[in-house]
Amino acid sequence: MNHPLLIAVLILAPLIGFLINGLRYQKNSANLSGILATSAAVLSFFVSVILVSEIFSLPQESRKIVVQFFEWIHVDSFRVNFGFLLDPLNSIMILIITGVGSLIHLFSIGYMSHDHGAAKYFAYLNLFLFNMLILVLADNLLVMFVGWEGVGLCSYLLIGFWFKDSQKAAAGMKAFVTNRVGDAAFLLGIFILFLTFGTVQFSDLVAMAPSVAEVSWWGPITLGTLFLFVGATGKSAQIPLYVWLPDAMAGPTPVSALIHAATMVTAGVYMIIRLNPLFLAAPNTMAVIAVIGVLTAVVAACIGLLQNDIKKILAYSTVSQLGYMFLACGVGAFGAALFHLMTHAFFKALMFLGSGSVIHAMHEEQDVRKMGGLKKYLPITHATFFIGWLAIIGMPPFAGFFSKDEILGMSFQSPYGNAAFWALGVFGAILTAFYMTRLMALTFWGKARFSDKLHPHESPWTMTLPLCVLAFLSAVGGWIGIPHVIGELLPGHPENFLEKFLEHSILPILDLPKAMPTMEYLLMGTSVLLAALSAYFAYTMYLLKPEWPKKLADKFRPLHELVSNKFYVDEIYESSLIQPLIQLSKNIWLYVDVNLIDKTTYVVSDLTKGCGGFVRILQNGNAQTYATYISIGIVLILSILLMR
Amino acid sequence: MYNLNWFSQIGLQHYLLLSSALFICGMAGVLLRKNAIVILMSIELMLNAVNISFVAFSHYQSKLEGQIMVFFVMTIAAAEAAVGLAIMVSIFKRFREVNIRFFERLKG
Amino acid sequence: MISDAILFWILAFLSLSAGLTVVMIANPIYSALALVMTMVSVAGLFVTLGAYFLAGVQLIVYAGAVMVLFVMVLMLFDLKNEVYAFTQGLLTNVVKLGCLGLLAGLLAGTLVLSSYQSQEIQDKVVAAADQTKALGQLLFTQYLFGFEVLGILLLIVAIGAVALSRSRGGTHHV
Repeated sequence: MNHPLLIAVLILAPLIGFLINGLRYQKNSANLSGILATSAAVLSFFVSVILVSEIFSLPQESRKIVVQFFEWIHVDSFRVNFGFLLDPLNSIMILIITGVGSLIHLFSIGYMSHDHGAAKYFAYLNLFLFNMLILVLADNLLVMFVGWEGVGLCSYLLIGFWFKDSQKAAAGMKAFVTNRVGDAAFLLGIFILFLTFGTVQFSDLVAMAPSVAEVSWWGPITLGTLFLFVGATGKSAQIPLYVWLPDAMAGPTPVSALIHAATMVTAGVYMIIRLNPLFLAAPNTMAVIAVIGVLTAVVAACIGLLQNDIKKILAYSTVSQLGYMFLACGVGAFGAALFHLMTHAFFKALMFLGSGSVIHAMHEEQDVRKMGGLKKYLPITHATFFIGWLAIIGMPPFAGFFSKDEILGMSFQSPYGNAAFWALGVFGAILTAFYMTRLMALTFWGKARFSDKLHPHESPWTMTLPLCVLAFLSAVGGWIGIPHVIGELLPGHPENFLEKFLEHSILPILDLPKAMPTMEYLLMGTSVLLAALSAYFAYTMYLLKPEWPKKLADKFRPLHELVSNKFYVDEIYESSLIQPLIQLSKNIWLYVDVNLIDKTTYVVSDLTKGCGGFVRILQNGNAQTYATYISIGIVLILSILLMR
Repeated sequence: MYNLNWFSQIGLQHYLLLSSALFICGMAGVLLRKNAIVILMSIELMLNAVNISFVAFSHYQSKLEGQIMVFFVMTIAAAEAAVGLAIMVSIFKRFREVNIRFFERLKG
Repeated sequence: MISDAILFWILAFLSLSAGLTVVMIANPIYSALALVMTMVSVAGLFVTLGAYFLAGVQLIVYAGAVMVLFVMVLMLFDLKNEVYAFTQGLLTNVVKLGCLGLLAGLLAGTLVLSSYQSQEIQDKVVAAADQTKALGQLLFTQYLFGFEVLGILLLIVAIGAVALSRSRGGTHHV
């Protein structure tokens, strides 16, 4: 097969969709543009399936397709090709991106059918796919950065899609500015790595990564990877740059599902997995990543406990799950991170789409306190959401169980991890089970709390079909990574397919202690049991004894206040960073710009004007006057000559 | 110098003085006259004055190059007169007069 | 020798007075006629300097062609006697006159005080025909290039003059 052509089709199909819809955004109807965009995404999906099967057909050691399209930058010895690389690692990514992306495009047709800007929306969505594919397929840091910035732009455009609402426009701005902070760090990381290794090519960087770990905090690899990680915290919404993601829910719900849950926010994780030998060479960075990851997982889950907006709950859940992925990266379990990335893409996209279906049915109502009892009205949405719920709280045999369990197990066993990480991880899982059950209970179960005039109805097939597919994937998606201990029990002894698939892309953890089956069962059992208990507790609290939450809130008033106000992080940023910056800018504007620069230029311009006004008298257009000047000149020159 | 000899012995100096006088005359015309055609004539006057000095030098130093120069100057003068008069015609067509003041309108 | 001197003085007087008339007289036609007079006397001066061929050219080209052109244009315009022959503006005129006076003074001073005071003429009186021949040879050998360039210039000027006088004149609409 012709690999360059396939990769070109894969990447360019969404771009062409974007161009068509973008150029005709006033003429294309919602349906037409939706079908166009969806077919572009589906085409990409088919091509990526073909490409991945190609990858499979290659022998295990050489599963790699490299395509160089053209030389992009050539300065002296510095050369960057616009090149793409496909290996097992990103073949999973492109399947997720185009597969989940296609489903979400399909869902959007129904969801956006009444919107006037649908063609623009689909154009942005396709542009996003294009940039995301560039990001994951890039074979060097610079091309990746192109995609990195591109998805940031699409995210901004789509969050602020309903820009006439100034709050939503502001949310887009917030996301963009926060991402800029991360992107600046990402660039710095690229610079440091380039200075150190003299290349930005992934294959060279990975090959040159030293086998001996760098101990110092200020070594170039540690510093470079730390900056890259700060970039990742921006894109993947980790502490301290996570604040934009909950606000990003201002965008259309399918966008939240695609960009702010399934794909774009995982770019940071993907980047770290892609450069795993480098990160492994910098244990300090690994420690930072693990700590930030686990903290984010717990803090975001805490905030999620008391949110009332259905999408905000899911957003904090996303932040929390991303924290798990970073925890996995931090303890060296890159395969587990990618596994969780995949399963999370399935069940979180499912839950966002489900919430979209709910919001659609409730006529743009997002407050869970005003829902309830929707199970009766939205059977399909409820059933699929239920599967997603089981997956996210980690109930076996649903997808989330395998991936989350692998992360927790690795954080305990890995030489980079310890019991504290595991304990915090389990605590996060308990919180997750609690707020997810709360969400289910308040939304679907119990008595209806909305007015009688509202008649919620099930969504059209374009919206329920993606839900069903994603529910199926959430149910079985975890089976490609069944741990050995369970695999041995099952008939036919299925091996850990994912681990084998990624064998040559990801460095194994050195001196990983041989796992004892009893230990693994113990860890697994503890987390599942605690999560189930927590879910049951939440079920009791919000369904059977609805007066409990109020009592508890009254009892722990300060704590309740703190958590429901999201730990006042936004307010702290506002007062400690944003306001001083605004004041500083204002002062600089007033004293430097207005008083110094402007006044200087005024003086200069006045001076020039004055001089010009004087000289203008001489230039009066009269030929005789000019002749007079010539004769004056002759007289002067002659007299000077004669005086000598 | 202030004897009759100066009047009877004609030399280079006399020709040069005459040339200067004619030149100043022409220049006065260029600077002070209002009629553009008269200004053109004054320029011819100046060129003639220069021609006199050229021929005088040529004569008193026995070199023919001065005369060649005069030849060139005459050609240029004829060309300049032709173009100048053509411009005058244009100006006259528009303003019905050839005052030098109207040339101010030509400025960009 | 004295006849030469007399001839020079007569011609000098004629040319200067005619030149002054060109500048001073209000009617442009009279100016043109005075200019013809100047040309003729300059041609006479050329004769006293032994440049016979140039004297002839001066008469034919200047007094003949160029002056006829001037007179024809003047006739075409049919200009009346001008009330104000000179430009207005006291200050500028004073400046201009001052300039002229200074220039005249400088030139005269230079010439009078210079070393050309008494010129012993190395008059190797060349025969008129020989001189014309030498001039022609010089013009068509050493200065051929300049000569040809002049020819092209004249061609351009001829076309340009036609184009200019046919144009509507100016870009500004009054």
